[in-house]
Formats: sequence, structure tokens, C-alpha cells
Amino acid sequence: MGLEQKDGMMERNDKELADAVSRNEIYRYLGYGTNAPDAAVCALVDEVLSELFGVIKPKSCYRIYDCRTDGEYVFVGDWKIKSANLAGNLAQCGTAALLAATLGLEADKLLQRYEVLNMAKASVVQACAAACIEAYCNLIQEDIRFDAQKQCGAPLFIRPRFSPGYGDLPLEIQREFFSVLDCTKRIGLTLTQNLLMYPTKSVTAFIGLTRNPENCHIEKCKRCGKTDCAFRVL
Amino acid sequence: MGFREEIGKELLFFDGGMGTLLQERGLKAGEVPETWNLLHPEVIEQINREYLLAGCNVVSANTFGVNRFKCKDLAYSVDELVGAGVRIARSAMVSVRDTEGGARQKMYCALDIGSLGKLLKPLGEISFDEAYDAFREIILAGDKAGADLVLIETVSDPYEIKAAVLAAKENTKLPVVVTMIFDENGKLLTGGDVESVTAMLEGLGVDAVGFNCGLGPEQMKKLLPELTACCSLPIVINPNAGLPVVVNGQTMFTVEPDEFAKSVRTLVEMGASAVGGCCGTTPEHIRRVVALCNGMKITPVTDKGLTVVSSYNHAVRFSRKPLIIGERINPTGKPKLKQALRDSNMEYIYKEGLAQEENGAHILDVNVGLPEIDEPALMQEAVTGIQAIIDLPLQIDTSDTAAMERGLRYYNGKPMLNSVNGKKESMESVFPIAKKYGAVVVCLCLDEDGIPETVEGRIKVARKIVDTAASYGIAKKNLVMDALVLTISTGQDNARVTLETLYKIRHEMGLHTVLGVSNISFGLPDRVKINTAFFTMAMHNGLSAGIVNPASEAMMAAYYSFNALIGEDEQCMAYIAQCEKGKAKEEPQAKAPRQQEAGALGLHDAIVKGLSESAHQATIRLLEEKTQALSIINEMLIPALDVVGKGFEEKRMFLPQLLMSADAAKASFEAIKETLSKQGQNRESKGKIVIATVKGDIHDIGKNIVKTLLENYGFEMIDLGKDVEPEVILRTVQENGVRLVGLSALMTTTVVYMEETIKLLREKDAGCKVMVGGAVLTQEYADMIGADFYSKDAMGSVRYANALYERGEL
Repeated sequence: MGLEQKDGMMERNDKELADAVSRNEIYRYLGYGTNAPDAAVCALVDEVLSELFGVIKPKSCYRIYDCRTDGEYVFVGDWKIKSANLAGNLAQCGTAALLAATLGLEADKLLQRYEVLNMAKASVVQACAAACIEAYCNLIQEDIRFDAQKQCGAPLFIRPRFSPGYGDLPLEIQREFFSVLDCTKRIGLTLTQNLLMYPTKSVTAFIGLTRNPENCHIEKCKRCGKTDCAFRVL
Repeated sequence: MGFREEIGKELLFFDGGMGTLLQERGLKAGEVPETWNLLHPEVIEQINREYLLAGCNVVSANTFGVNRFKCKDLAYSVDELVGAGVRIARSAMVSVRDTEGGARQKMYCALDIGSLGKLLKPLGEISFDEAYDAFREIILAGDKAGADLVLIETVSDPYEIKAAVLAAKENTKLPVVVTMIFDENGKLLTGGDVESVTAMLEGLGVDAVGFNCGLGPEQMKKLLPELTACCSLPIVINPNAGLPVVVNGQTMFTVEPDEFAKSVRTLVEMGASAVGGCCGTTPEHIRRVVALCNGMKITPVTDKGLTVVSSYNHAVRFSRKPLIIGERINPTGKPKLKQALRDSNMEYIYKEGLAQEENGAHILDVNVGLPEIDEPALMQEAVTGIQAIIDLPLQIDTSDTAAMERGLRYYNGKPMLNSVNGKKESMESVFPIAKKYGAVVVCLCLDEDGIPETVEGRIKVARKIVDTAASYGIAKKNLVMDALVLTISTGQDNARVTLETLYKIRHEMGLHTVLGVSNISFGLPDRVKINTAFFTMAMHNGLSAGIVNPASEAMMAAYYSFNALIGEDEQCMAYIAQCEKGKAKEEPQAKAPRQQEAGALGLHDAIVKGLSESAHQATIRLLEEKTQALSIINEMLIPALDVVGKGFEEKRMFLPQLLMSADAAKASFEAIKETLSKQGQNRESKGKIVIATVKGDIHDIGKNIVKTLLENYGFEMIDLGKDVEPEVILRTVQENGVRLVGLSALMTTTVVYMEETIKLLREKDAGCKVMVGGAVLTQEYADMIGADFYSKDAMGSVRYANALYERGEL
């Protein structure tokens, strides 16, 4: 791609991120399903979110590549990956991005702190941090979409993120993912021998970009009238 | 002359980037560049040669990415790759010397070391010792092959850097240079800032520090003043050729050689002692830099004379404005802390630390000395454990030199050490350790003859300590004098002697000072009155840091008032904030309406509603009414927990509520425990349970939730933490005669270790039941790996443990 893009170490301001975090998702992580928590738990969630935003410095890096699939294989840039599920996810995508994002060490520290002080609060930190990294990825993928659109000159729509370890996509490709994106040096993300990530509140994912809005889960949600759905991705 | 003698005296040039040049010569994406040391040595030597011909003095061997973790996937050993890299660089030096004739001087081969790519414990995967061993392997190979210096570069975790520096200094005599990768705000990825890491590195005795990678020369210009302001070592700056941009999926650096050289020249004018390049720079960049800067006089390296301690993320400077050192983590006179230490109850210690941080301490004293415990081991655990959750610098407080060394070694940052005194024996044992780890040492003004009664006597001891420290290479800035406080109840001159000594040390000898303030009132009534008056007097006479209890509002009021009065509190903001904090405390629970409306709730309701304070109060009321502890537990507490547990299982109540109730029950138990221990009793244990997150897995919140609930139900929990080896679990079960083990795993990839653990327990006939839980587990899966019980949620484990208890199987 003949496109210049900033080497993504995007930092987002707290306000943007705060607005993007889904309360419903936090409640869902806490086991509420579609039930609404009582006022005390809602207040605790607010308190934890503002503490979290006070300490985290989310960072991300990504690369955008041409992409094609042939049912069993995915070709992203020079990389050939065997995974029917990922091929399915990226089927209608001429472009795909590799994304790595992390809330950084401070989220882990905050969690450890409350595991000592207050277990109830720790469980809320856990849920809020999980929702936060998702919200952060949602923001970054808008940057990715913007960059990719500039390149292909047509509106693009985003497919659901697909991470190593999903379906038949082996977790082992984390190694290659890390080497392609150089995540350790660029955003401080490290991989353990067992392919888990430190800091723990982190995401690596393929993000497909398609010209077909029908193929986009966000577009589908936008058109759906059930605005209180726990799985709504807006 | 060697590198160590040259650096800081004359301008030296480092080389530039390697990666981009290798890609141009055919290195493929994903290929490990260091394998070319064996596959294409001529290419590597040619690049080394080009840099030397461009005029650099320090050529970096192609060894940056080699370490034992990476070599696992390669066909080559660390020794082979590092050895070859260094030998190639040396051979390039010989060939350049031949080309340019004997006139060519000053060429040094750097063993280039990068990050291991692993995060260190307590928040990460590998231990400090594992990191140390990995670095030692690299360094021994590099030294053997003939490196002239060790260059630790592009690193961003101070703890990892410390492991690398110690590995270099303990295993070789080579000079050590450390350059770090900061972002534009002057932060490392791990959160550290320029002053905190610089303080640590100076303490560890490296030969030069600086920046590389991440930023271009223009961005480094903005950051350099921060470094020159605090650094007493030569500075090395190796910028990228600008900020990266991505073109065609390739990372590019766009600052051209001429422009690069001009910016680098400014960096030299600003105080750099050595310059070179990093990503995107080429031999041409370096040639232009040399051409433009050669012959420039460098800024002389001067000692900034700062007394600084640091944690992993910030530095604390001693200055005119006094500091608060929290004294609470010290078992002297604290029976509860003593008990916690005997029980290895680290949680108690962490809570003490967090409370002091909350109350405004700048540094925490850590003393875990009790005669009957393994103090070095506990010191290490306390230091690393506290640093996992608290950002404050620590003062390692012990008289046991083994504990001292452990504390200092595993500390992340530049530590404070309490203490040395004027006795020959004390100085001989403490100073070498303090020097090695770069601690700021508290020095007590006493010696073989005891505590001098006069000011002159104490000053004499202080001078002796300063002189002896100097003979160990410890500068005055790393000594903080304790003038010693004796109670005025046994000598009416005691305060005067201390204050005058303090004044002389601070204002005539020019050293910073520290005092354990509250000793002044020992044996007197209403001690806080004397303590606050004395604290203010001491600060006025030159006290740099008071070792006090930050929870004492009166002491902190004296502290904030003093700062406001000497003009060290802009617009009295800190003073006002402190007053408001005090008011908020007086209006009980203003911020927590639930607690307020609860009023005098009964214990049952307080627990069901998850109100810790109410539960605690209700329990105290019950105990005052002479209700038996056992009946409180069995007739109120446990039934209340059951109500919540049932609500949780029926999905009427949810996880946060379950845990709030658990916390409330815990608060109630605290009150009961106190009463019981006064009567010399303990809560009866229903049996011991070992709980752990299995090897390879790092997620432990689920395990901790289960532990909290089981504790409430009266089980004695042995928590082995996360990433636990099967053998450790087996040993713990055997040593403690445990009949139930709880294992947690979150990922499919780590369930295999759960299976391995169960297998081992069965093979060795450990005689225990195993219950398992975690996100990916199902009943089927649990059966397959041979678990006795699968718990789908936290309450499931309570039911199972209770059932075993009732059947007498625990």
C-alpha cells in the first residue's frame, strides 16, 4: 500500500475513552447478564472507572495489509495463515489490519492493589479494565478504518476483531504476530512461554475491512431497534 | 587508555542502525538478524567496517536480540551467536586499523544487549534471578569473545536493566553503558521517568547513561535537559533518524544525514558526551555527524550532588522541604504485625503500606525483623510484594546484613537503607553492600562508645562515618545522618543536643538528616503534644526527613503547617487539601450514603447488604453484650453468608454483592478474632485447603475470589499464588497433610498443566481431593483430566468443601 501512516502508538484522551466504555458490557462481565445492578454497584463501577482512567496509559500499534482468502488460507501481506475460521471472518475483506493494544502495567497494578484491599472492588476493576481495553480497541479501529479508507478511496466497514486462539486459529501465531508488530519494543507488550500476554489487559487481533456494509456487525447493530441489547456493539 | 577513561573526557562517536541495512542486504521479515553472524558473517563485518570507516569509536556487535528465550526456537546457542558477533566486530576493527594505518586510535567493540522481551515478576513472567541468569550468559559469552564494553540499550524496564547491570558488574570488569527508550513525555513504557532510572543507574555504578531509539534527535533535544539536570555521569545519545512513518507496510525513518548531523551537534552542545544513531541511521549519517562534531569540547561531567531515592516509576529528592518516611511496617511494639509476620500474612503488611501512602508518606520504612523468622527471605518477599502495588520508594530497615543485601538486590529503583552506625564492624559490613547497590544510607551518630551525650561527640561520629564512607567510594550525597533522639523524660537536655547536632550536620557539614521523631516523648503522657512540637523544631533546625506515623493527624498537621510557613507550599494548597481531608473524615461516611443510612444494622442484615463498617460495629456490639463468639459465627454470620450464596446461585444476587458480603463478613471476623485472641483462643479451622492458579497461567482473580469465600466459611487457606509448579503443590499438600486442593486455569493452553498437576498428585498418592474451576473448564473437561469436582462458580467450591467437612473427609 502506498500510504503513509503514523506508526501507531496512539494515546487517547480519557474523555474519549470514558465515553466509549460500555456499562452494559461491564455489567455483563460481572455476571449480571441483562439485569441491572443496584445503585451501590453502579456507583462502584463509576468510582473504579474514574480511578482506572486516572492511571492507565493505553497504547497500541497496528499495520494495514492487503488481504485475500481462499477458504482455508488467509494471505495478509506476506503472511500465509492456515485457518478456515479466520478465512471466513476475512472472506469479503480486501484489506486487513494487525492490531496490538494494551492498557499497560498500571491496570494490573490497580487490580493487584484491590485484591489486597477489597475483593468486591477488585472484581469490578477486572470487569472495567476488560471493557476498557475493548473500548480502546473500538476507538483505534476507527483510526485503522480511516487510514485504510484513504488508501482504497471507498467507504470501508469493520468486521469483528478476530484474535489468535479463536476457533481454529492457533494461539501459536501469537509469536509471529509479536514479531511482525514488534509489540514488545513499541508498546511494552510481552508474550509468555505459554503464549499469554503481559500486561494482562491486552488484545491482539486481526481486523478485516470490507466494502460491504451488510458484512459489518456494527452496521447491523446500528440498524437494529433493540437498543438495550447487552451485546450491542455501539 | 580504555573506554572507561575516555568517556566523559572527549567526545566519542557510537555507530548507527543495523536492522535497516540488513534488510537492504536481504534479511527477511521474521528472520533473526543475529543468525547472520554465522550464516553471512561477511555482510555483518562489512556493516561494522562501514561504521568504523565513517569515524565511529564504538562499534556495536550484532548481538542485540540474542538471549536464551529467543535461542530456544533457533538452531544456535547464545554463546555461538554472541561470540561470533563480537569476533566479527573485532575483526572489522583490525581491518580498519590496517586500512587506515596505525594512526587510527580509539576503537571499541560493544557487546550490544537489548531487552529479553519478557516482563519480570511480580507483575510478569520471569523472576529477577532468571533475568539475571539470561543476561549473565550473554555477558560471559561477549567478554570471552573480547568485547571492550557492555552496551545495554533500547530497554524500558528499570528492573530488567538492574538485572543486566548486576550481571555485567558481577561477572566482568567491562565498562557498562545503558541507554533507554523514552517516549516524548520522558516516560519509559513501564512508567519510569528520567530521574528515577538515572538515580538507580548511578547508584549501581554504570559508566554512562543516555537515550536511544524511540525518538529522533529533535525530540531528544526536548528531553535532554531533564537528564543533564540530574545526571552526574557521561551522557550517550543515539537517536533514530526521526520518528517512524510506515510506507508500503515498511517502517521508514526520514531524517537525512545532514539534518541529522546538525541536530546531533546541538545535542553535544547541550551536554552529550557521546553520540551516534539508532533505527534508520546509516554509515552516512554517522560520517556527517563525525564531520560536523569532531573536535568539539564536551560539557564537563559534574556531580550534581543530589540526594535521591527512587521507586520503579518516580524519584524522591531530599531538599529544603522535608519528607515523610512512614514508620508503620516495623514489628517493634506491634503485636498484630508480629503475628502477621509469623503467619507470613503479607496482606497485613501491604495494607499498612497502602494506608501510609494514602496518608501522605513519601518513603516507606520496611522492617520485618523477628528473631524466629527467616528474615532475608521475608525481606525479599515484602520488598517485591510491596513494590507490586505501591509506587513509593522503600527504606530497607534491618540490622541483618543478609536481609539487607536481599532487600537491596531485589529492590526496583534506588533504595534507602536503614542503617549503619559509627562502629567499625557496622561500617565494614554495611558500606560494601550499600556501595554495590547504590543505596542512600541512614547513618546513626553512635559508635563503640555508645551515643555521645554532647553535640560535639555526635558530630565527631558523623565525621568519622562520612570519612569512612568516602574510603568505600560512597559520596556524601548518599548519606543521611540520624542525629538520634533520646526521650526528654530521662534527660532534660536531650532535645537540645539532638536539635543542635541536626543543625550542624545540615548547615555546617551539608548533609541531609533523618530522625525517628516520636522517641522524644517516650515515658510521657499525651505524647503527641511533645512529638508535634519537637517535629516542628526539628524541621526548623534542618530535618530533611522525619520517620513518623503518617496516620497521626497532629503530626501531619505540623508537617503541612511547616511547609506552608517556610514558603514550600504554593498558595498553601497542600495545607488546605489536608484540612479538607480532615473534615471529610469528621463527617462520617459522607461519600458512602449506603453506609450512613444503614445506621445500627444488625449483623445479619449488614452482611447481606455487604456493609463492612456496619458489620464490624454490629459484631463489636454483640461481643460487648457478651454474645459467644461461636454463636455469632454459627447463628448469624454463616446463615447471612448462606443467604447471599443462595441468592448468587439463583441469580438474584451477583458477583460484586457476593464479594461485598464476603468483605463485610471478613470485617466481622476481624472483630471476633481480636476478642478470641484476647481470650487466648482462635477461630476453629474446618480444615486446610491448598489453592493455586496452575503453572503457565497468570490469571488469579478467580482463584482469589474462591479463597475469600472459603476463608469466610472457616477453612484455612494455603494460597500458593499463580503460575505454580505441580511439584510445589504436591510438596505443600504433603507437608501440611492437606486433603483438598483447588486449582484454577483460565486458558485451554494452561489446562494441560492442571492435568499434569492432578496426575502428579495421584501418582505420588498425595491422598487429596482436587476441585477445579476456570473460564474454559466444563464438567466434561474436568472429568477428562481426572478432577474430583468441577466448580462452575465460587459458591460451588464452598458447597463441595462443606460437604467434605461434614463427611469428615477434610
